[in-house]
Amino acid sequence: MKKKILSLILASAVAGAALSGCGAAAPAPAEPAAEEKTEEAEAAPAEAEEEKPSASVGDGSQGEIKVWVADAVVDFTAKQVEKFMADNPDYAGFKVSVEAVGEGDAAGNMITDVEAGADIYAFAQDQIARLVAAGALETVNPDVIDAVKSENDDGSIKAATVGSELYAYPLTSDNGYFLYYDKSVVKDPSTLEGIIADCEAAGKNFYMEINSGWYQTAFFFGAGCDLSYETDDNGNFTKANVTYASPEGLAALKAIIKLCESKAFQNGSAIGEATNVGAIVDGTWDSSAAQEVFGDNFACAKLPTFTDGDGKEHQMSGFGGFKLLGVKPQTDEAKLAACDALAYYLAGEEVQLARYKEVGWGPSNIKAQSSDDVKSDVALSALAEQLKNSIPQGQYPGDYWSLSTSLGDSIRNGELSSGSSDDDLMAALQKFQDTCISYAQ
Amino acid sequence: MKGDFKTRISFLIMGFGQIMRGQWVKGVAYLATQILFILYMVRFGGSYLSKITTLGTVETHKEGRKTVYGDNSFLILLFGILTLIVIAVFIFLWYMNIKDNLKDEALLREGKVLPSNRKVLGSLLDGHFDKTLLALPVSGVFLFTVVPIIFMICIAFTNYDDKHQAPTNLFTWVGLDNFKNLLSFGSSGMGSTFFKVLAWTLVWAFFATFIDYFLGLAVAMLINKKEIKFKKLWRTLLVLTIAVPQFVSLLYVMKLFANDGLINGYLLKLGLINAPIQFWVDPMLARITILVVNIWIGIPYLMLIATGLLMNIPAELYESAKVDGATGWQMFRSITLPYMLFVTGPFLLTQFTNNLNNFNVIYLLTQGKPQSMKLANKAGSTDLLVTWLYKMTVNDTNYKMAAVLGIMVFIVTAVITMVVYNRLPSVRDEEGFQ
Amino acid sequence: MSKNTNTNSMKRKKAVGTFWAYVLLIVISIIWLFPFAGLLLQSFRSYDPAVEYGGMVDYLIPKHFSLDNYRFLFSGQTNFVRWYGNTLVIAIFVAIFQTVIILCVSYALSRMRFAGRELLMRFWLILGMFPGFLTMICLYFLLKQFGLTQAGAVPGLILVSVASSGMGYYVCKGYFDTIPRALDDAARIDGASRARVFFTMIIPMSKPIIIYTALVAFMAPWCDYIFASYVAFGHDESYNVAVAMTRWVWTNDYQGYFTRFCAGGIMVAVPVTLLFMALQNYYVEGVTGGAVKG
Repeated sequence: MKKKILSLILASAVAGAALSGCGAAAPAPAEPAAEEKTEEAEAAPAEAEEEKPSASVGDGSQGEIKVWVADAVVDFTAKQVEKFMADNPDYAGFKVSVEAVGEGDAAGNMITDVEAGADIYAFAQDQIARLVAAGALETVNPDVIDAVKSENDDGSIKAATVGSELYAYPLTSDNGYFLYYDKSVVKDPSTLEGIIADCEAAGKNFYMEINSGWYQTAFFFGAGCDLSYETDDNGNFTKANVTYASPEGLAALKAIIKLCESKAFQNGSAIGEATNVGAIVDGTWDSSAAQEVFGDNFACAKLPTFTDGDGKEHQMSGFGGFKLLGVKPQTDEAKLAACDALAYYLAGEEVQLARYKEVGWGPSNIKAQSSDDVKSDVALSALAEQLKNSIPQGQYPGDYWSLSTSLGDSIRNGELSSGSSDDDLMAALQKFQDTCISYAQ
Repeated sequence: MKGDFKTRISFLIMGFGQIMRGQWVKGVAYLATQILFILYMVRFGGSYLSKITTLGTVETHKEGRKTVYGDNSFLILLFGILTLIVIAVFIFLWYMNIKDNLKDEALLREGKVLPSNRKVLGSLLDGHFDKTLLALPVSGVFLFTVVPIIFMICIAFTNYDDKHQAPTNLFTWVGLDNFKNLLSFGSSGMGSTFFKVLAWTLVWAFFATFIDYFLGLAVAMLINKKEIKFKKLWRTLLVLTIAVPQFVSLLYVMKLFANDGLINGYLLKLGLINAPIQFWVDPMLARITILVVNIWIGIPYLMLIATGLLMNIPAELYESAKVDGATGWQMFRSITLPYMLFVTGPFLLTQFTNNLNNFNVIYLLTQGKPQSMKLANKAGSTDLLVTWLYKMTVNDTNYKMAAVLGIMVFIVTAVITMVVYNRLPSVRDEEGFQ
Repeated sequence: MSKNTNTNSMKRKKAVGTFWAYVLLIVISIIWLFPFAGLLLQSFRSYDPAVEYGGMVDYLIPKHFSLDNYRFLFSGQTNFVRWYGNTLVIAIFVAIFQTVIILCVSYALSRMRFAGRELLMRFWLILGMFPGFLTMICLYFLLKQFGLTQAGAVPGLILVSVASSGMGYYVCKGYFDTIPRALDDAARIDGASRARVFFTMIIPMSKPIIIYTALVAFMAPWCDYIFASYVAFGHDESYNVAVAMTRWVWTNDYQGYFTRFCAGGIMVAVPVTLLFMALQNYYVEGVTGGAVKG
């Protein structure tokens, strides 16, 4: 008879829960930001404002700016932010927190929930189109576009541009790869065949992440293939230029197969995870780890050449990539102004150079690049040599990367092997090419 | 309209009749529900509900450099569903309120006394104790399991993916398009990949369940042997794999079997092989390695269960079999095995369905790799439907296809459960729920 | 049956059988323990380049024995202590609340007959067939409405684990079913309410199952990587150990962290294992009961 009462209470519990939810939901972002403690860089709020009452933009604007950078530069970035806040009392109302979110995770997290994501975040350029399409990137402040464009190298600007809009501030120009090797194992790093022979003889491993779309291009571009995309301003891919299904593509594919079938070959590009390394194709971010591993025998060089079936030599090519700093779209103009200014500062010449000194990231800023410190860096010089043969990385759809992983895995597991007929290999390349083209529609 | 004025006013103001008749505990509860409901609809639910047919029309736009967000399709769908459910619950309660009024009225007319408020409350600890006990658990399941599941089922009929990501972009209803895509065999369709992944999922679940089951049983019988000493020690050693968190042990095992891992390293050093064994690279070998590692995880668990059950088998059965001159193998086949299979039938079925969705083992070991040109959408040779679904959700934010896959997983699990369950010999009415 | 002639050969046969059984057991134990031994050994290899190397290597036994990795964990260079604390808090609260909820549900379903009981059990059975990951994104946004993501991720994770725990009543209900109803009936005739019976009779008799339930609930959060990373992203202080430490092996930002991962893994595994060992008998009782009851 009275059994409804509890069903009643039950229901009001649900309704109550939902209601309390609505309370929190009504004013849009309602950040539960109560206890953000990590690396806060509060720039002496109260006093600063009193001293400078005329602060134009910053009058009363308050808020919190979240910055995401890789773990290695969290402390560095926090220090720089502090400096920025001290120099710019206009933005004193904003509290900046710096969190460690790796460049790989940042994009995924931003896309999952733009609202909860960082206001300023560093990411690898391959994510840019995806971020633009998901509405996670604001265009660069028009006031500084020309400055950004003239201060940074062309490749980095191309990487930060989607369609005709500049969407991000170039941060580094060192996301390219080259060869680290053990001097005592590899005698002559100029040909792939020589390196492999040396490694095999010494029982050491040669690492290259061949099932990654990023490293694969070293062969395909080196043989003379083309793979690029065109985008509109919203991050949609409109056209693909692919010439993988060609004699050049076939030569490259055969060279990859030959490499994979060597017993010295290991798939991988992180020296920290590699064992018994003779040589590895890796980037500047691993330079200190590589020095640890190789010790006195540490050496680096541009990528070697490879010889195709007809005995023709090709210089390995590949991507020159960039790290970028993005600002997320804001609903508050004052905050956007603060984010713009901070991002511009963090990607500026001074900070790029300081960052190089602190963690060794190669700058994209032209002036910083020409500083003596940068020029004398062995890893960066090897990269610079390699970049002459590489292609600045443009925009690629996310599916391209997983497609090339599939291609790489097909080679590694022997679906495509030296026993396959040319027709089979050509069919695989044709399928690859067709699928690549299908992404741009 | 039936009833006196108190009842009639209760049609509009819930709980009015109860309060007037002195049943204020019930009355206030009903009234509070109504007030909460109205507040909810006005302040929150109503606006979402009104947009649920389109999932929003106002686009996000720019004012100067400032972004003004439009409708959020995601929240419209989520809270639209929640609101529909709240309305259904409210209508049910409203109906209960009327029924209760009529009942009270009838009781009074017959000259009986209504139960006191104290008694009403007291019944919650006695006659209606079930309501007290279940209130919180049921509403918890409702809000955090049922609502999300309904939501995701709905997503399967929308175009919610990386190109239509709230809050910047709207998504909308698209009917059965996603299902057509999953089952189409054209060059861009996922049909052939789906069936390949499904086939491996079933094969995996079958082998993972039965290999572990029989090996676990064998180990249990081995330790149970009369001659073996330190029984507890052996069991404890094996059981470590249950106690150590899998993200630690499986990640380590994954590295162990890598091409450049310890196992290959030592085999190479000893000269037993001259090229690394491609444990995680070769599709077939990767599948076998996963099954082997799964034995490592599964045996201890099954050993524990089997140990307990073996003791329940009446010893006389074995004695008489021995007298008849049965060998160990014969006794196993005609006594132990039938008994175990009978008793653990439902458990085996549960194990099977758990293995269909065994995310941890696959994901921590291979993430579904190796991929192949023969498989679409990032699927790999060791991917189960769930790991594939997970990758679609987290890596690709392709929620629409993930939702479709989720429904498929549900259908597969449900069909297998129903077909097998009713054929199990040990199924009896009350034991059934697992 | 000529027993006497057979005894000798039987004995020998048996001895040989026992010998091989021991050999088999020892081999199995080695295989089972190898990964843990490996983990432990690697955790003592220093990551300091002056001593040794913290990444992957192709040998098992460290060249120098060192506690650097453990020192690193507690040195404050990372939030390891905080992550550990988060996980512990989650595990304790989940264990308490989940046990309470499961006891409530099990008692109601085992002892009381009410309209919709069968329906409820069937409905929950069907719900269990949906893969959990599907609802992650939805749960995330639900929690976000309550402010229980990122900074509030710890209570959020507790809430989600506890909220759905009612569905895991099988084992406990099976146990209650084995307690004779006649006991209840006798108490009820003496005027005890249902609540009284539940608190003063059933609960004290259910120690094994309570411990089993709490133990299982306590162990689960230590492995929660998937959902925890989804809820806590971008807020280092809310991570649990699994989320924080898998970064050390899965992302390129952390080169040479492998031995530190091993050390962290040991820190997680040791207390959980000890607890498990101490309560092993209850665990066995629980899983066996659950398997038979079905």
